[in-house]
Amino acid sequence: MRFLPLVLKHLRRSWVRSLSTILAMALCIFLFCTLQTFLTAVNRSLKSANAARLVTRHAVSLVFNLPLAYRDRIAAVPGVKQIAMQNWFGGARRAGDFSEFFPNLAVEAEPFLEMYPELILTPEEKQAFLGDPRGCVLGPDTAARFGWKLGDTFQLESFIPPYRVGRPFEFVIRGIYTTDEAHYPGTDRTLMFFHHKYLYETTGRRVGVGTYVTEVSDPSQAGAVSKAIDALFANSDNETHTETEQAFRASFVSMAGNLALLLNTIGLAVTFTILLVTANTMSMAIRERRTEMGVLKTLGFSSARVMGLVLTEAGALGVLGGLLGLLLSQVLIGALPHVPMIGPFVRGLAGFGLTPLLALSGLGVALFIALAAGLVPAVLAYRARITNLLRQV
Amino acid sequence: MSMVEVNQVRKLYKRDAQQITVLDGLDLQVPEGEFLALMGPSGSGKTTLLNLIAGIDRPTSGTVRVAGTELSQLSENALARWRSRSVGFIFQFYNLIPVLTALENVELPLLLERLGGRERRERALTALKIVGLADRASHYPRQLSGGQEQRVAIARAFVSDPKVLVADEPTGDLDARSAEEILALMETLNREFKKTIVMVTHDPRAAARAHVQRHLDKGVLTADA
Repeated sequence: MRFLPLVLKHLRRSWVRSLSTILAMALCIFLFCTLQTFLTAVNRSLKSANAARLVTRHAVSLVFNLPLAYRDRIAAVPGVKQIAMQNWFGGARRAGDFSEFFPNLAVEAEPFLEMYPELILTPEEKQAFLGDPRGCVLGPDTAARFGWKLGDTFQLESFIPPYRVGRPFEFVIRGIYTTDEAHYPGTDRTLMFFHHKYLYETTGRRVGVGTYVTEVSDPSQAGAVSKAIDALFANSDNETHTETEQAFRASFVSMAGNLALLLNTIGLAVTFTILLVTANTMSMAIRERRTEMGVLKTLGFSSARVMGLVLTEAGALGVLGGLLGLLLSQVLIGALPHVPMIGPFVRGLAGFGLTPLLALSGLGVALFIALAAGLVPAVLAYRARITNLLRQV
Repeated sequence: MSMVEVNQVRKLYKRDAQQITVLDGLDLQVPEGEFLALMGPSGSGKTTLLNLIAGIDRPTSGTVRVAGTELSQLSENALARWRSRSVGFIFQFYNLIPVLTALENVELPLLLERLGGRERRERALTALKIVGLADRASHYPRQLSGGQEQRVAIARAFVSDPKVLVADEPTGDLDARSAEEILALMETLNREFKKTIVMVTHDPRAAARAHVQRHLDKGVLTADA
């Protein structure tokens, strides 16, 4: 601590250079923390998928619906415990305006609620929902976002052509589910779901089923059951593709390519660049002060202490840059859910936020980069002979 | 009793394939309380000898004993500790740290001692008073004249109360008036504070202020004045 003022004064000496390095470091940590927060939330969301649940969709594309008649045939496959129909409704409060979007699904209510124990309703809410054809259930975050409470009504209009009937669908809020983070971490708190029958009837009984969600009796048999389901409809007009819920969700993420690889590569490239920039800055700073290093050693500062001063200076740059980067990351992460287009997706990622562990990792990365960058100049300062250092005058 | 004893010291430098003998079997004794001036032409080995006495370089062979300590026996760390306590170095170009004030520069060697911040500042201020610059304590080196900078550097050299002061052409970068002030200050340190001083100089007027003058030529002490 006695030497800290000396270190800080040296940082202030070339403040433009120090500030540039701190900003570069901040950018690196900002990217690291933001990208990792995003990846962690996506992974968390994927992991929240139940291993016992399978999703069956049209083999060609999700765009195509499956026949209603498939329901009973899938239910009869050995190993299938129960089945629920599910359609992505794609409704918005104002047609085409996705600024207030939240995920909404038409589901076969009773089996759906049994298969998704992570969406917790009180018996009264469940009863009210099942008894009301226009009833719906909301996630707590969506309810809070719009200030909706039980009994409120609202309208949604879908952008999907078969579900557009010339007027909006009207819903009555019959339940606001809660989640259990301890037992079901990463549960989506923004969902809205309503009766599949309401969709079916309102559209003139023309729509099919987007996906069938099935629960298998034995999760270890999920692969065999998937194959059995798909085999059932092989060579038909509507072949199916069945996969685990986790794989189904991952396929959405993979639509953007290998997201994790892409984001990690960006992060690594930035980190390496900042490492070089900081190393260059530290080398220049130490080269300029060779004589001072010689003077310090002449005064009795040991080589290890001089090396320590150089590393402390590098570390201070790292910590300051890291803290600034964390602050920027926190600001962006806080703002992202309110950004049009991206916001709805981000709000769907349960637990999207900068965790203390990630913040600490960010600071650790900043410190590591700074110390790695300062290591070579520090070792050179350590090894340099006083007479050589003073000869630079 | 000798404060500085240099016995049969040789110092060789390697420059590419060439080996250059800078000091060749040199002997020197400096009694306690002495003010010695080392003179000689450029390349004669004056600064090398001074560096050996100050413990910032090591001889190729021979022994250097200063204030009762045989320097060649010390490890790098022990030598650094010894320098902080036993010797003060005055450079030709002052070598103050530009980002530190005069007071902070003088305080630097005291950072290595177990002293509280307040005591450090008091001792540094006392040293500045001795060199007549207490009123410039908060000034940065760039705000001081050359002579004032050298006085601060001298305060830094003796603030930890070393037994020996070594000065490498302390007046070499100063005008005559400032040089006179510096020499008077060094005389005071020698006379009143009993510091043993070894000073390298090219200036005969500066050398005349010392008690003893020794001449070095081609690594050998040639004559006493």
